[in-house]
Amino acid sequence: MSRKRMVRIAVVLLSLLYGAILGAGFLAPYDPAEQDRAHPFAPPTRLHFVDAEGSLHGWPFIYGLIPSPDNFAEYQEDRSRAFPVRLFVSGDHYSLLGFSCRRHWFGIDEPGHIFLLGTDGYGRDQFSRLLWGGRISLLAGLIAAALSLSLGMAVGSVSGYFGGFVDDTLMRLVELFLAMPWLYLLFAVRAFLPLHISPTVAFFLLVVVIGTVGWARPARLIRGVVLSARERKYVLAARGFGASDFYLLRRHILPQTMGVFLTQAALLIPQYILAEVTLSFLGLGVGEPVPSWGNMLGSLQQYHILASYWWMLAPALVLVPVFWGYQVLADFLHERLEFGH
Amino acid sequence: MEPLLEVRDLHVDYLSDGMPPAQVLRGVSFTVSKNEAVGILGESGCGKSTLALAILRLLPSRSRLKGAIFYKSRELTNLPEREMEKLRGAEVSLIFQDAGSSLHPTLRVGTQIADVAAAHHKDWSARQRREGAEAILKEVGFDQVERIYASYPHQLSGGQQQRIAVAQALISGPSLLIADEPTSSLDTTVQAEILALLKRLRREHSLALVFVSHNPAVLAEMADRILVVYAGQIVEEGSAQQVLNSPLHPFALALLRCVPKDVRHNGPDRLLSAIPGSPPDPAETPAGCPFAPRCAERMDVCGSRMPSETRPEPDRKVRCFKYGG
Repeated sequence: MSRKRMVRIAVVLLSLLYGAILGAGFLAPYDPAEQDRAHPFAPPTRLHFVDAEGSLHGWPFIYGLIPSPDNFAEYQEDRSRAFPVRLFVSGDHYSLLGFSCRRHWFGIDEPGHIFLLGTDGYGRDQFSRLLWGGRISLLAGLIAAALSLSLGMAVGSVSGYFGGFVDDTLMRLVELFLAMPWLYLLFAVRAFLPLHISPTVAFFLLVVVIGTVGWARPARLIRGVVLSARERKYVLAARGFGASDFYLLRRHILPQTMGVFLTQAALLIPQYILAEVTLSFLGLGVGEPVPSWGNMLGSLQQYHILASYWWMLAPALVLVPVFWGYQVLADFLHERLEFGH
Repeated sequence: MEPLLEVRDLHVDYLSDGMPPAQVLRGVSFTVSKNEAVGILGESGCGKSTLALAILRLLPSRSRLKGAIFYKSRELTNLPEREMEKLRGAEVSLIFQDAGSSLHPTLRVGTQIADVAAAHHKDWSARQRREGAEAILKEVGFDQVERIYASYPHQLSGGQQQRIAVAQALISGPSLLIADEPTSSLDTTVQAEILALLKRLRREHSLALVFVSHNPAVLAEMADRILVVYAGQIVEEGSAQQVLNSPLHPFALALLRCVPKDVRHNGPDRLLSAIPGSPPDPAETPAGCPFAPRCAERMDVCGSRMPSETRPEPDRKVRCFKYGG
């Protein structure tokens, strides 16, 4: 596959994913916290086009679920009751851009249920939770990356531009942060804080902790770019015409860090998504009932769930295209922007 | 009359870890009057470019500057950086040898000229800046001002790039232009054009000029007065005519012998002379005259101490034991 095509696919894939989590309320058929106690660990609902009589339908429909007569933990389709999949149905409340809505992309008339990716142990729809959980995980990656990149940018450009004592001090600090085993540091910081905090507070704590730990690498890279940009002849020439430090940073030096900045963003975002997933998986991140990809995977710590209910792995599977997409993007940006100038 | 620029006993050392400081300038003193063109002549590595940078305090951070620089009676060496920024470009401008690398590669040249105006005229509107830049582009000899304004540096020739640098240097109306080998990387015809341009602009803007060059022929064209620099010291000073026609210092003499007199009459059989040896290492302090090891007229005294400045003729200074010292 050509390089350009791969980048295009990666961009489309990432845009779709981010679009999907932004529109989670509309795309998800259920509220992520809504429990259906009658259907714990229900398998993904099958869409049918052919009914029991063998006639073909132009629109998919589903059958209701009943517990299997010989094994309580398994389900059977109740062939006697068919529910057509309906579009733009009215359902649970959600808010989109500040508006309160109840229109959903698709749904099933009561008392039927549609679980595209099955349910978890409380009978919550995995598909809805995956979309809503993506909000937490992907946004945590974005916000934490923005935080550590702005810190890195500030420290790196000050350090590289002013040099001398300031540079020495800041770079020793960078080395200190680089040498830290950041995962354990995150454990320590999170463990130090109260165990029971609201999911919103937990989310922001998580983001701030991840973001403030990771600024050191971008800071050092940006310092390097600034250091070499500062020595260019045209920077000296501009100073000879009366350019101030602020002008030089803004016009000549910081634009050159753009390549490193974007590449680092493409590398850090997936890394921070993974950090959120890891911490939530271990129970140190966002807590129940708010879904995140990490705490959804957390239930897999129980072996029987991992062994019996494969659909519980869905959050791990969506991480694959996320990482792949960012990796391709980072590669592309690195080649295009960093060796370009 | 009070000089425009006065440099008094200027020393510049470049510092490096674990090595003795390199003494690049060792006590340089000279003056530049209003409207005067002073040529600075010397070999590579003698400190000419350092002198150009030192006047505007643009030396690298790991350097040490001693002495005094007066511009319009203001001492520059202890001026706050903010004041220096106001002075650079508006009072004293600097252009370099390689205009191609002195221009930002990804900004339109017009913007780069307008940016200089913006630095010194905070009250100018974008339109005024543009008009100012276009006016100065016309002045430095461009006809298609609009097209040049929107060009990127790589779209212009070396001569055009140097004109852009001159436009940047002059847009804020300085009284002194320091030109560090501005024509050395250009071919002969373009060089002549740039020199003619600088001469015209000097006249029209009543500009004083400090022209740094290794080429005596260029200085013959440009300079009223010439300072010959060797190993960070001024070894000879006089009017351009005096220095070029009857040099006093053996280094100046040797340097001028290296220049082809007239290309048409120099057949391949006439060898140009070269000065044997190489300039001293700036990290070492020679006991005597720094030129002594290479000097054809060396005497016993030359290796023992530094000759002091003498005035063998009115308005001429030289540092050589031949003339007392």
